[in-house]
Amino acid sequence: MKITKRDIVIGLLVLSALVALRVFWPTAKAEKIASPIAKATPIDSTVCIAPTEYMRSHHMQLLNEWRNTGARDSRPYVTADGKKFQKSLDTCLGCHSSNTYFCISCHQYANAKPTCWNCHLSPLDKP
Amino acid sequence: MNEERREFIKKTSIGFLAGIGVSSGLFLNFLLEKTDASLWSDKNIAGTTRWGMLIDMRKCIDGCQKCVDACRLAHNVPDFGNATHQIAWLQKSPYREVFPTSGEDFAGKERTGKSVPSLCNHCADPPCASACPTQATFKRFDGIVALDYHRCTGCRSCMASCPYGAISFNWKEPRPAIKAINDIYPTREMGVVEKCNFCSERLLKGKLPACVESCPEKTLTFGNLNDPKSEIRLLLEKNQTMQRKPELGTLPSVFYII
Repeated sequence: MKITKRDIVIGLLVLSALVALRVFWPTAKAEKIASPIAKATPIDSTVCIAPTEYMRSHHMQLLNEWRNTGARDSRPYVTADGKKFQKSLDTCLGCHSSNTYFCISCHQYANAKPTCWNCHLSPLDKP
Repeated sequence: MNEERREFIKKTSIGFLAGIGVSSGLFLNFLLEKTDASLWSDKNIAGTTRWGMLIDMRKCIDGCQKCVDACRLAHNVPDFGNATHQIAWLQKSPYREVFPTSGEDFAGKERTGKSVPSLCNHCADPPCASACPTQATFKRFDGIVALDYHRCTGCRSCMASCPYGAISFNWKEPRPAIKAINDIYPTREMGVVEKCNFCSERLLKGKLPACVESCPEKTLTFGNLNDPKSEIRLLLEKNQTMQRKPELGTLPSVFYII
């Protein structure tokens, strides 16, 4: 079969159309913009926010940051490795309240008196 | 040009183009930067949402306190049992107290005799947020006038500036005055103000506000005022509605059908 000029032109048109289609094809993922409610918050309190050693020494810094920004910026907190958490004391207490004395035992020993439990319900206050 | 050579060039160029076509399908990222919705889905876009409420007084039963009780339970609102120390996020007040400037001085009892649910109006132009010296009271991206209790110093400027009396002050330690403690929401402490938060903690979980959910007569409609297709907007279009003290220009997001 002899290839004519017409064949080449048609072939080129079909090819460019296919390329354009593939490149500009709208993906469902990119089109969708979640509503403020639907995005809700990926609450994940089944895993630790940071390694135990870091949390032991720096939990007050993290909680301070959450306290200062939580009400104003309701976007979830994203850790360095991409995990998302709702900025709420309940995120921590989801696991840690299983030990009623988790917070208080250390704070008592260190004579630290955080004001968290003035309003938030500590595991001791919960019925 | 040699005929064979010409044929060879034609065929290789077609093959080359076909190769580009295939590779553009295989390595899409190479041609155009990929857009990922998840990158901005977490961003709060101001103006897309303005939460509002419509209270249909034709359905509201006089004497029913279900919405008030649901609110008290949902947010650990204390009950001190006297008017001086009263804390109310949502309360039912006499019509004339809710609409004192509606110009209905001589209207009949059937219109003005009922007690009307009154709550924070989540104004589009909230005077309390302007008055707050520590910016503890502020307008959120979704139109909710929120209160960050951590920042509140208890100066009560917001109470003085609110024309609806929707903000209450904790004169005493509130925790002993809470009848039934709801352990999924914090309490407040003595020396801070508190008010309705439009159940923002429930909205976050995709639930309706506690008062809306508790009403047996579906008196309360909650929705996005910036969405022309929402139920609340359709109801606002069809009915004659009222706002509290609209002449003050605070642009309340709570509407009433009397």
